Amino acid sequence: MSEAFIERITKLAADTKAKTSKPRKGETFVEVDQSNVRDFISRLVNEVHVLHLSTITGLDLGQNFGVIYHFTYDRDWVQVKTLVPKTTPTIKSIVDIIPGAILYEMEIHDMLGLTFEGNPWINQKLLLPDNWPADLPPPLLKTSKPAEIRKRLHLEVEKK
Amino acid sequence: MSDEPKRKVESAGLVEYSVENLVPFGPIHPALKEPEYFKLILEGEKIVQVIPRIGYVHRGLEKAAESRPWVQNMYMFERTCGICSFVHSLCYGQAVEELTMYEVPKRAKFIRLIIAEMERIHSHLLWVGLMGHWAGFETLFMWVWRDREVVLDLVEAISGNRVHKSMNAIAGVRRDMPENMEDRIVERMKFLADRARYYRDVIDSEETMLERTENIGGLSADLAEKLCAVGPMARYVGLQHDVRLNDPYAAYDEVPFDIVTRKEGDVLALLRLRLDEMIASTNMVSYAVKHLPEGPIRVKIPPIIPAGEHASHCEAPRGEIFYYVKSNGGRTPERVKSRQPTMANLPTALEILKGQTIADVPIVLTAIDPCFGCMDRMSFLDIESNRQWTWSGEQLRQYGINYYFPERLKKK
Repeated sequence: MSEAFIERITKLAADTKAKTSKPRKGETFVEVDQSNVRDFISRLVNEVHVLHLSTITGLDLGQNFGVIYHFTYDRDWVQVKTLVPKTTPTIKSIVDIIPGAILYEMEIHDMLGLTFEGNPWINQKLLLPDNWPADLPPPLLKTSKPAEIRKRLHLEVEKK
Repeated sequence: MSDEPKRKVESAGLVEYSVENLVPFGPIHPALKEPEYFKLILEGEKIVQVIPRIGYVHRGLEKAAESRPWVQNMYMFERTCGICSFVHSLCYGQAVEELTMYEVPKRAKFIRLIIAEMERIHSHLLWVGLMGHWAGFETLFMWVWRDREVVLDLVEAISGNRVHKSMNAIAGVRRDMPENMEDRIVERMKFLADRARYYRDVIDSEETMLERTENIGGLSADLAEKLCAVGPMARYVGLQHDVRLNDPYAAYDEVPFDIVTRKEGDVLALLRLRLDEMIASTNMVSYAVKHLPEGPIRVKIPPIIPAGEHASHCEAPRGEIFYYVKSNGGRTPERVKSRQPTMANLPTALEILKGQTIADVPIVLTAIDPCFGCMDRMSFLDIESNRQWTWSGEQLRQYGINYYFPERLKKK
């Protein structure tokens, strides 16, 4: 099962011009270009039948945002990573392929300011407070300092 | 939501409604349970759409982790939850251990399993009690919580704490098992298994529970898979989703156990499943205590973790818990991502709620074993009459009980 599975993933990655690496036994790390990530995931779900998405991680990598989709259902892990430039912080949503991804995308939008195109709830806040100022950068960026956020939020409360 | 009165919200294509019809209330409600907020959109008695708003107790742990040492983070993440605290530190620890390449001693792996399974027993007992409370069966609540003390006492005897065990260290555990505990643990586990069997009988024969739970909260296996349900919420529709079995960690590959799944897919199935799972856990603890290997319990590791990234997942009482750790070779992590099982089960819960009546809301929301006291406050919006009102958790509970057992109302 395992060997054939990894072979199919590798083949799929070759089709979508993705780089694969195997950092550990049973783990496949796929780096896909942003334009191909939706294609890759929909084929992963429909052809290889990897259905369970554990979560989506958002990373601040300086010039880029990193987005990792973790498919870790059993011993064979598939982790799909893609880079999104900070100048155009938008990526296509995968909610229509995997409906369970809806809250994970909302979380990344709140925490990093990355927009997922096609997610119906993306403009609603999930985790950030309602009085979060629109001009304050998202909290999980490396440039955001907790002390500044705290000070700013206190000011917002005092305004009321 | 009061600050954006004109905005239209599209609710997954089903119903469109304007936000100005909703009752605004304070973002944080200092009540006993954790504050969460669900917008329920009704058509008469039936719920047609639910929109969640979580994060009122979001404390920015992921951000805080970036400025704290590796070891300190372990005990900080343990504070994420007051029920399944151990499994958080276990999952974070496993991700870090994978980066350091240190092997965890076998005895430590067994001790981790024992504590994790005791935590599962205590969490499931707590949940069964809460189900009794919300269904209007207070006796069950009292009895189950009394039995929960048995397992909490054992946890205290082993770790010194009841809730935040602080047992884990990176590459090992901090405390060894006390001497001469074996007989006591085996005896108590037998007692708990007997109690679980007794509660199975009670639930199968008690009208109060059957009426409130049978054929309520239905879900199909396909949908559960699509919505990425985890843990009991996946197993009660027949999916074999258990990290302990699919990707064994700690000593789960050496301790035999049966995975419990059910097919019915209603709240009653969840009750039976969690009680059966509890019995399986008592057997695992007894087996692990009898077969505890000798040897060291931890390896000392340097404070600097090599650069790299790794993810780890464990089976918490509520389902799969997930941690992702990235190191740049320093004393603090570059990024830690933590995803709790309730977050993964929330889309499923919202789906189950559609088509239920208001009276079933407390039961169905408790059924996912949420890590928040979500019934605290809800606002209701009736599409037909455009009437709005707000209920507290207690009012909602009473409404549910009166709806199903109107004779109790007459007696009063």
